[in-house]
Amino acid sequence: MMDYKRSRDQFEEDRIDEVLETIWMLREEGEARKDDVRKRSEDPNVEQVLTIVESEQLVITDKGCLSFSPHGEKRAESVIRRHRLAERLLSEVFEIEEKQLEDHACELEHTHVLSEVVVDSICTFLGHPPTCPHGKAIPGGECCKKFSNELKPLVVPLTELHIGGDARIVFISSKYHARLDRLSSLGIVPGSIIRLHQKQPTYLIKIGETELALDRELAKEIFVKKMQHG
Amino acid sequence: MHEHSLEDTKNGNRVAIVGNPNVGKSVIFGLLTGRYATVSNYPGTTVTLTSGSCKAGGEDLWVTDTPGVNTLIPMSEDEVVTRDILLNQAIKLVVQVADAKNPSRGLQISLQLAEMGLPFMLVLNMWDEANSRGIDINVKKLSDAIGITVIPTIGVQRKGIKELRESLTEERYSSLSISYGNLIEDGIKKLEAILPQSRISRRSIALMLLAGDASLKPWLNKNVSPSDVTTIDAIRRDLQNKFYEPLGYVINQIRLKKAEKIVEGVLSRHQKSGSNVTVHIGKWAMHPVWGIPVLLAALFLMYEFVGVLGAQVLVGLLEEGLFGNYINPYMTFIAERFIPDLFFRDLFVGEYGIITMALTYSIALILPIVGTFFIAFGILEDSGYLPRLAIMVHKIFKLMGLHGKAVLPMVLGLGCDTMATFTARVMETRKERVIVTLLLALGVPCSAQLGVILGMLGGVSLTATLVWAFSVILVIFLVGYLSSKVLKGESSDFVFDIPPLRIPVLSNIVFKTLSRTEWYLKEAVPLFIVGTLILFTLDKIGGLEVIERIASPVVVSFLGLPAKATEAFLIGFLRRDYGAAGLFALAQNGQLNPNQVVISLVTITLFVPCVANLLVMIKERGLKTGLAIVAFIFPFAFLVGGVLNFVFNLLGIKL
Repeated sequence: MMDYKRSRDQFEEDRIDEVLETIWMLREEGEARKDDVRKRSEDPNVEQVLTIVESEQLVITDKGCLSFSPHGEKRAESVIRRHRLAERLLSEVFEIEEKQLEDHACELEHTHVLSEVVVDSICTFLGHPPTCPHGKAIPGGECCKKFSNELKPLVVPLTELHIGGDARIVFISSKYHARLDRLSSLGIVPGSIIRLHQKQPTYLIKIGETELALDRELAKEIFVKKMQHG
Repeated sequence: MHEHSLEDTKNGNRVAIVGNPNVGKSVIFGLLTGRYATVSNYPGTTVTLTSGSCKAGGEDLWVTDTPGVNTLIPMSEDEVVTRDILLNQAIKLVVQVADAKNPSRGLQISLQLAEMGLPFMLVLNMWDEANSRGIDINVKKLSDAIGITVIPTIGVQRKGIKELRESLTEERYSSLSISYGNLIEDGIKKLEAILPQSRISRRSIALMLLAGDASLKPWLNKNVSPSDVTTIDAIRRDLQNKFYEPLGYVINQIRLKKAEKIVEGVLSRHQKSGSNVTVHIGKWAMHPVWGIPVLLAALFLMYEFVGVLGAQVLVGLLEEGLFGNYINPYMTFIAERFIPDLFFRDLFVGEYGIITMALTYSIALILPIVGTFFIAFGILEDSGYLPRLAIMVHKIFKLMGLHGKAVLPMVLGLGCDTMATFTARVMETRKERVIVTLLLALGVPCSAQLGVILGMLGGVSLTATLVWAFSVILVIFLVGYLSSKVLKGESSDFVFDIPPLRIPVLSNIVFKTLSRTEWYLKEAVPLFIVGTLILFTLDKIGGLEVIERIASPVVVSFLGLPAKATEAFLIGFLRRDYGAAGLFALAQNGQLNPNQVVISLVTITLFVPCVANLLVMIKERGLKTGLAIVAFIFPFAFLVGGVLNFVFNLLGIKL
């Protein structure tokens, strides 16, 4: 179905991204030595890719040590940002187990479903997280610059909402069908407006004229958007 | 009474009261039928069906009160009861009771009733509360929108009941209908083609099946061929694959949207009529910090009322005064004159006499305590404090594989463990129900027993009371914690409706206390007499000594108690409050030292509450589980007593 040449190119691009990522990560740990890249990379033909990145001047080699050229830096940054935001999205919103995180995040990164605009919206949606689930820094994007002025992330789990605040439920992420059924029978569905009364000893929310107590475990799964006049 | 005529009215004249939890169904039921169904201010008071007859417009109606539901797709055992009555019985009319403050939640059920094709009317109860919160519902508009009679009521003030009664003879079908979108509608059509004709519409059953209602399995197996069941499963799975979210959730959301749209058209808001004190107390009672003093205050007041007024003042008046000075000497005098035979005289007024032991214990010792407890507990229930207590202790209960909701059966257990075992139905998973049943049977002392125990301990020292309380609470916690690890199965989510705090209605407290006290007397006094007869017989044939000798290694050596305590344990098998009363008598005679008082009380507290409780356990949890619980509890109770004795001796503790 897909044009052979194009898909081969894409494959090659992915391999380049992969190596750039490895270099980035080695640099985070100290320095990116060419030998370490060879050891760390899973690419069977890493030598070939290294030649490409050097010849395309994405990377500059100096005494066996690799550093990025300005446009190499930019490309690597974008790969890392995409990857780590994907990890964050999967772990927080879809609650994918850590073991599987890596695989899925890589797939998302490679299929390039995450265009620049989409990546920025995910970043905004997650509240411009500074780190990935493993604690590594996520490079900031355009959206994050705007964010520093606006301050508040758009959608947060109920656990992050301030007491007394009004919010609209955006979505509920739960693995359990029965949980969704139960919450919806009580009127907790996307679109409902709630007010958070307290967080301890249990969460207490008001929805319409109903007051509901919730366990923290459930509150974590209810994602809300804070309303302007709280 | 007139069983025959009742049967006639049941057929074809059945009216079912349904609605969300804690909207006042039982109040309405009581007003229609004149029968008392327990009314409280927390969801889940009614867990079984109660029925009564009602005359309306010259017709004899048979009205049934049902457990509250949020949707007619059940999630716990009490909710199954409600759905099943609509599914399996001929219903002439459904009276849906809704909270006027929360019309959209009520309308979610209205939509389902309309789908079922059942004639119904809508009662908007707690109209006054809605008003004081600034909510106005245009009844006429709402009635036009859904095509049935809508009646505003204030149940506890009997307002609107006359109008309600008058419209009971109307059979109106709702004009409400709802479209779930092409995909789901397609699925509904496919299922409708397979489903048999039944009392409620095929469409409604199709929707329940699509929503994944597992509790319909028995009905399906009875009414649909096995191959069709497989087809139904396949259709459902097929449709589910087309949705990212579970179908039940999708369907609920569509219903809620529709309900909200109807409400938008009929509801208007005006200025709230000021805030009141109850709102503030209600907030404090749940506050992470202020909640604790409120809890302590509630406990203190309860202790003063039950522990001091009931267990000390009233017991003193009745036991020493009425029975000690008047009834017992008088009865003994009569017996001595009119019953020449010593054997029969002892049967009534001897050491193990029906009057001197069974009636003295049950009426003089326990009734005042049970009575005061039921009053205090009724006030607690009706104020709406219990759900707030649930919030305060939720985290502790979580460690026991339960959640705050389990507070309701556990606190009710302080009144009567047997009633509370029924209430375990509000817990959603089997695991939770088994743990609640076990803990109730093991460690939660019922009011009768609690009163006797506190009365006894009060006479020893505060330290003794604390040691007893600490031992029992520790045991409950440990057993709860361990059983949550050992038992397989899941725990359910904690989502809990918090009703507003209300000032209790006196008449309801009186009714409730009377009906509970009556229940207690009917339940306990016969067993007390049976227990006394057993002791009497054993005593006369010399069996008591034999048993005391056999039990001696356990009672005397292991627990360090006098052999006479065996009697108390023996009748404790029948009812542990009766056993406790036996210990009370021993202590009064100076036959137990403070250490022995605490050891014997801890042991008897951990007994199975009574024979009735055992039967209910078997009925609710099954024979195997019931017997397993009993087989665990009795040896365990003695073990804990023995360990306590060992610890006292080891540390040289003298209480």
